Amino acid sequence: MLMQTKVLSDEEIRSIHKNSIRILEETGVKFPSENALDLLEDAGAEIDREKEIAYINEDMVKKALQTAPKEFTLGAPDPKYDLSLPAAFPTHNIDGCGMYVLDHGSRKKRPGTTKDIENSFRIFQTMDQGSIGWAPIVAADLPPKAAGVMETGLFYINSSKHYQDEETSMKGVGYHMEMAKAILGSWEEVRKRKIYSATYCTVAPLCHDHIMLEATMELTKYEAPILAYPMPACGSTGPASLFTNVAMANAEALSCFVIFQLCNPGTPIIYGAALGSINMKSGIFLEGAPETALQLTAMTQMGRYYGFPTEVAGCLSDSKEPGMQAILEKYMNMEPLIGAGADVVQGIGLLESSMTLSLEQMIIDDELFRYAVRMRKGIDTSEEKDLLEDIKAVGPEGHFLKQKSTRKLFRSDEFYRPKDLIDRNSHDEWISLGSPDMSSAANKRVCDILAEEPLRPLDRDTEKTIREIMEEAKAKLSS
Amino acid sequence: MEQLFEEMKNSVLEGEEKEAAELAQKALDSGMDPVAVMDKGFLKGINEAGKLYEEGEFFLPELVCAADAMKAALEVLDEELKKCADNNTKTGKVVLATVQGDVHDIGKTIVGAMMTANGYEVYDLGSDVPNEKVLSAIDDVKPDIVGLSALLTTTMEQQKNVIEMIREAGKRDEVKIMVGGAPVSRQWSEKIGADGYSDNAIDAVKMAGILIG
Repeated sequence: MLMQTKVLSDEEIRSIHKNSIRILEETGVKFPSENALDLLEDAGAEIDREKEIAYINEDMVKKALQTAPKEFTLGAPDPKYDLSLPAAFPTHNIDGCGMYVLDHGSRKKRPGTTKDIENSFRIFQTMDQGSIGWAPIVAADLPPKAAGVMETGLFYINSSKHYQDEETSMKGVGYHMEMAKAILGSWEEVRKRKIYSATYCTVAPLCHDHIMLEATMELTKYEAPILAYPMPACGSTGPASLFTNVAMANAEALSCFVIFQLCNPGTPIIYGAALGSINMKSGIFLEGAPETALQLTAMTQMGRYYGFPTEVAGCLSDSKEPGMQAILEKYMNMEPLIGAGADVVQGIGLLESSMTLSLEQMIIDDELFRYAVRMRKGIDTSEEKDLLEDIKAVGPEGHFLKQKSTRKLFRSDEFYRPKDLIDRNSHDEWISLGSPDMSSAANKRVCDILAEEPLRPLDRDTEKTIREIMEEAKAKLSS
Repeated sequence: MEQLFEEMKNSVLEGEEKEAAELAQKALDSGMDPVAVMDKGFLKGINEAGKLYEEGEFFLPELVCAADAMKAALEVLDEELKKCADNNTKTGKVVLATVQGDVHDIGKTIVGAMMTANGYEVYDLGSDVPNEKVLSAIDDVKPDIVGLSALLTTTMEQQKNVIEMIREAGKRDEVKIMVGGAPVSRQWSEKIGADGYSDNAIDAVKMAGILIG
């Protein structure tokens, strides 16, 4: 059977759901938007206009969970990268919103640039387990207000996969959709193919951000999917128990379902989570702690309980560099998510609590992910794997190297075969290869990929249009 | 004719023992030159298998099956080959054994397969081989190299005992001795007076090449 991770029993899941409903009904959620409050009021919520708080009742949640689709496809400019959800096996995406880069040449930390983002997209394009792109950093050489749109453009110029970004302005939504139309050819195709989706972070505790809320509401007109992404941290922006912090995060997620289903019933929503805890001394958000992993696994279970596709932060580390701490933390929080059935694990490549991009770390994280997926696949006990006849044939003594099943299964996914990052050579062979470690092997792969000719998947005219939209956004959003 | 050579090559490459033996027999029955059969047919297959293994394309099962298919063909052709004065296809003769008290034969089997793939005539004495049997194989086979495998720290001592026994019998200069196995190291190899050591099958073939130069 599949490897299955659970941190909540069925009863505990129901108890969290009940608590979330109580939070929505008794404490309410702040929606700093007249439009949103109007919609919520019409649907039956009690509204405190002065405080901009909506008290959402259980019926509203039930309705939202009914109109939101359980299955949909995140399209890609190249349909072979379409991600149909829920997925049989998980994929990963790039982590986003960092500031710095560990330079793959000098290995020194510096502010990130457009070039780094392009490099990360080119590397991501080569990863067959990677489904959703996101700019890993906000480039220091771009005007901050236009950075989102510019980075979306850079992605489509360098990759043919699905892209997901935050909506930080009303105009930005327009530019994102214009890009999708330039690639797909018509508004009808934009609605149908869904090559762009939005990450939507609530602001813990229990708030929505005015601009992001209105911009994402606008996006629902285009039927673009939305990732509901609550991220309360235990003890600072959330209560200090994992149990109740999960209930509050779930309440925030449910409030996203309610508002976006009211905007446009049928809007595809991915149930997401990026909960954490904090460094008790400094207050810094902790990503690599076991308690982060436990809460994210719980949220994955919650998303699956409701029956929605899940995309959960889960390749996280507080380490400042690729190395032992990064491996420990990232694998620890990735494996249980995959074991709990997350559809997409977000996101590869970042260190230092998602502040610093390392291209090498992208490669390493991809490998960690593959290990975790192999673990998830578990032990197959189907007829094909019943080899008792082989045991009879070989008998005591002897060996199984010459059995036909050995030849066949050595070539199958019964055994995961890592490539260059994991050393399985003898000591002498390892020495003769220059005693490589994971980090140096990843650096070599980064250099190899970047030495290749860039993909440039768009035809010349489309690329030109995308660049024009980027330039217009740069001019109009920067002012 | 070319097609037949190709079939021979493929029978080895695909590890089809029965087919390799049948093709060898067919060649003999139709009066083909056994040396040409080896050179243009079967050897090409086993060389290719060794190359693919080194490149990481072939895994152990493919290599071991190819070596056994090669052996099957050789058994059929052996007598006729011996009659040919100009049969110089062999790189050298190797006797392999997992030492007395140790039943682990996989490592030695892999080295044997890789040696076969590189043109050596391999005599595999099996596992848990009594020390005296190794000694008598030196008389019988007259190998260039004796390879001794041990997987256990408790049995690696036998490598030393076999070498001493060979020395006491006055035959130490007749053969080169290689040792290998998980607990074995270069230091151990030097300490017990072996001529060569490697920690993997590909290097074992290279080491053999150096030893018999």
